[in-house]
Amino acid sequence: TAGDKIFHFGACRVSMSMTEIRASFTAIKANIQSRDSIRTLSILSHPHSLHKVKSSDRCCITHHLFTFYVDKVFKHCRTEDSFVNRKISSIANSFLSARRKLGQCREQNNCVCGEESMEKFKQILANYEGLNVTSAAMKSLGELDIFLDWME
Amino acid sequence: SGELYCSLPNPRNVHFESINMKNVLHWSAPEGTGDGVLYKVKYAVYGVGKWIRKPECRNINRTWCDLSSETSDHEEQYYASVKAFLNGTCSGWTETTRFNPLTDTQIDPPMVSVSSTDKSISIILTAPEKWKRSPEEESISLLQVYPGLQYNVSVLNKKTKKRWFFSINNNTLVVPWLEPGTAYCVSAQIHVTTPLLDSGFSKEHCIATLKDK
Amino acid sequence: GDALLPAPQNISILSTNMKHFLTWSPVIVQGATVRYSVEFQGEYEREYANGSWIPVSECSSTTATVCNLTEDISATVAYKLRVRAELGAASSPWGTMKGFFTRATTSLTPPVLRVLADGYHLLVELAAMGPTFHFLVLYWRKGQESKVQQKVMREVSSVVHLDTMEAGAEYCVKAQAHVEAINRSSSFSPTQCVRAQGDKSMWL
Repeated sequence: TAGDKIFHFGACRVSMSMTEIRASFTAIKANIQSRDSIRTLSILSHPHSLHKVKSSDRCCITHHLFTFYVDKVFKHCRTEDSFVNRKISSIANSFLSARRKLGQCREQNNCVCGEESMEKFKQILANYEGLNVTSAAMKSLGELDIFLDWME
Repeated sequence: SGELYCSLPNPRNVHFESINMKNVLHWSAPEGTGDGVLYKVKYAVYGVGKWIRKPECRNINRTWCDLSSETSDHEEQYYASVKAFLNGTCSGWTETTRFNPLTDTQIDPPMVSVSSTDKSISIILTAPEKWKRSPEEESISLLQVYPGLQYNVSVLNKKTKKRWFFSINNNTLVVPWLEPGTAYCVSAQIHVTTPLLDSGFSKEHCIATLKDK
Repeated sequence: GDALLPAPQNISILSTNMKHFLTWSPVIVQGATVRYSVEFQGEYEREYANGSWIPVSECSSTTATVCNLTEDISATVAYKLRVRAELGAASSPWGTMKGFFTRATTSLTPPVLRVLADGYHLLVELAAMGPTFHFLVLYWRKGQESKVQQKVMREVSSVVHLDTMEAGAEYCVKAQAHVEAINRSSSFSPTQCVRAQGDKSMWL
């Protein structure tokens, strides 16, 4: 397809415009990551890697991460750069749209949260809370490709 | 760490050049320095708390360092950094931007092999392999790394100069009902939709259909 | 002051094939050049960012009365759009387009299709429509309308091979554009038929 990915979570099928999200992120990746000077900490990938999430827990972690970005991250990423702000808005609104579609999977009970995945998500929140909010938000936004790579 | 007072300008343009996930660090010499500059290199896995020196790239005078082995896990992201030394003085460290092997690599075109009968040509495409430490190591095709990988195939009729394109997901293509005794030139490109990665087109492989029996 | 400068009127959006243009009527001030600035607000800004508005730099202090919002409206959510007039240091109140705009309402035109026969080969050329589009191509042998075959193609602006044809047979093709992001398709292009080389080598 034209870069729209169909994600299957159990019987639930969700299509997301991954190409548009990736294009927006790629356009601001260098700018955002240059604002994150902490090399030795990651929000999403250490100590627990997303890649170790069981496939049955994928829907739950995906939905939690969309909520994490929508509720916690994007609002603290306003910059002085209009172009960057517009791309962040594009990503944020795409995440909002995607989370709504994922919500339908939860209603169809295809989004079970296992204990292990909840532990991982708690670790992500702990990583986030461990930094001041602006640094944590900017770092999380700079790690968007970690989330997208894992999703795909 | 007992380092000298570093008055030398920093190395410049420190960046990864990556092809099929063979990840080589490159840089330019500090401004205004001629020969005799030596360098050392370190790297870090993003999110892990330590920088690691690369012994094979310590006190080297070349301006590149192969970090493929150190950056082979494409589920991680990396930083690398270079420091220069000259006549007893040194520079500061210059870092790369964050390197994501999955999205920041360049993919080579596929290998193309073509055979023909009198009225058809058969094309077999082979995606490049991910870089590996040694020939004995298990090969990983980039097809496994990028599941959405597709091929664009161009077939040029040398007589009519007409070019057709095919877009295929699997790696074989048979083009039947061609003109006997005619030369066709085939080239192919890899297309990955997300992350958006396109190889260049391969060089053309020409073959003639057999003459009519 | 501001009271002299009225807000722009007749603010509307023209959206075709996922390209979105905001337009408005000019504000006339004799002997002066009025400029305009445009801002947008997605559902995210309304619900999670205190109703903030985002300026569109290409349409800040512009003399044009149209603004291309395609790059900014790149999510399938409801957007609010506004524009104001500016004259020197003075600016008008914001004129806000009535209601919301969501790109799912864009109008989709059928793709521009060209069908060719080259020997026994059926080929098509489809004009690119943008990164969010792909094409559904239907083709059948004339007289065998019940055996329609289909191919899904990404954006293509070159001659793409569809299938091989039986000697002398006539084949017909039509195509529609599809946008997965809004899960909608255009109507079909007019059908075009061509004949394969063979008994009656003739183009229609």
